Amino acid sequence: MHERSLVQNLLHQVEQIVVEQGGGQVAEIYVQLGDLSGVEPLLFQMAFDDMAPAVFSAGCQLTLEVVPVTAICSECDHQFEIVDFQFRCPACQAGSVQVIQGDEVKLISVTIDSNHSVEGVSS
Amino acid sequence: MNQRTIIIQRNVQADQKADTAAARERLGRRGTLVVNLLSSPGAGKTTLLQATARHFAGRRSMAVLVGDLETDRDAQRLAPLVPVAQLTTGGACHLELPLVQRGLNALGDPVVDFLFIENVGNLVCPASHDLGEHLRVVLISTTEGDDKPGKYPKMFRTSQAMVISKLDLLPHVPFSVDAVTEDALRIQPELEVLTNCALDGTGIARWCEFLEQQHQQRLAMYHEPEGNR
Repeated sequence: MHERSLVQNLLHQVEQIVVEQGGGQVAEIYVQLGDLSGVEPLLFQMAFDDMAPAVFSAGCQLTLEVVPVTAICSECDHQFEIVDFQFRCPACQAGSVQVIQGDEVKLISVTIDSNHSVEGVSS
Repeated sequence: MNQRTIIIQRNVQADQKADTAAARERLGRRGTLVVNLLSSPGAGKTTLLQATARHFAGRRSMAVLVGDLETDRDAQRLAPLVPVAQLTTGGACHLELPLVQRGLNALGDPVVDFLFIENVGNLVCPASHDLGEHLRVVLISTTEGDDKPGKYPKMFRTSQAMVISKLDLLPHVPFSVDAVTEDALRIQPELEVLTNCALDGTGIARWCEFLEQQHQQRLAMYHEPEGNR
């Protein structure tokens, strides 16, 4: 995957959120990476460490949570975690299953320190 | 300190997802089935499309967008048969929607039955990029080894069909159609598996029949009255 362009996209979205919230300094960005998102957490973190200080002040933390792939069976509604890319329902053996979590990069929350006025948004 | 945590809960790629959904709907509504064709380099995507164009000639209309890092060699091979636009990525390892749209515009946004997007040869990155297709097909040739689905699972998980190509070489290479099928079905149990040899035409009629079925099935939703969708 393309961690740098994803991080750039993320930073841009957080910048907009800070503006909507009336400014402030970003203290923490919390992101969930799905196991099926195709994103390597280490490379994502490195890209963030490299690019974030130019947009937000140093000290802005990235919290990454890797979430497993969860699917639901279209036949029996059994919900289960995908292990080793086995996409057959363990309960009824059906092959028609829908991934309901773990295939995306999700911005969960942004923590803003309002005491630091609008200087937090530098670009 | 006055800290506030704003809950967002949003897919970072939500805007791109909306764009690809809109592109898919636009082409689906006018009866074009968009097929994203993916494989390793040299698996036979262009040769398959040449055979497909010959089979459909005079009966079904098609256009091709072909992605490569450099050169227009693939477009030159297809140009005598069908409208084709070469998309050169200048080093990027996959296609993205804006490139596809540029290619469509270069062709004059034609109304065709099938739009094939021959992706950059790569079993990794293209798997993560929806191009607004209705059908994703992964091609695997008998010379690549039958252990590939498990090694590149996302590509096989996100595809609806797997075409095993270069069937004529089967007697000469250690490749088991059963083994590769079993490995792929473990990852994507609903995968349609087809075999062919595009050079001598084996399996091409079946492949084209499959494409016709998919055209009917996957575009049916766009013909229904608004209330039923």
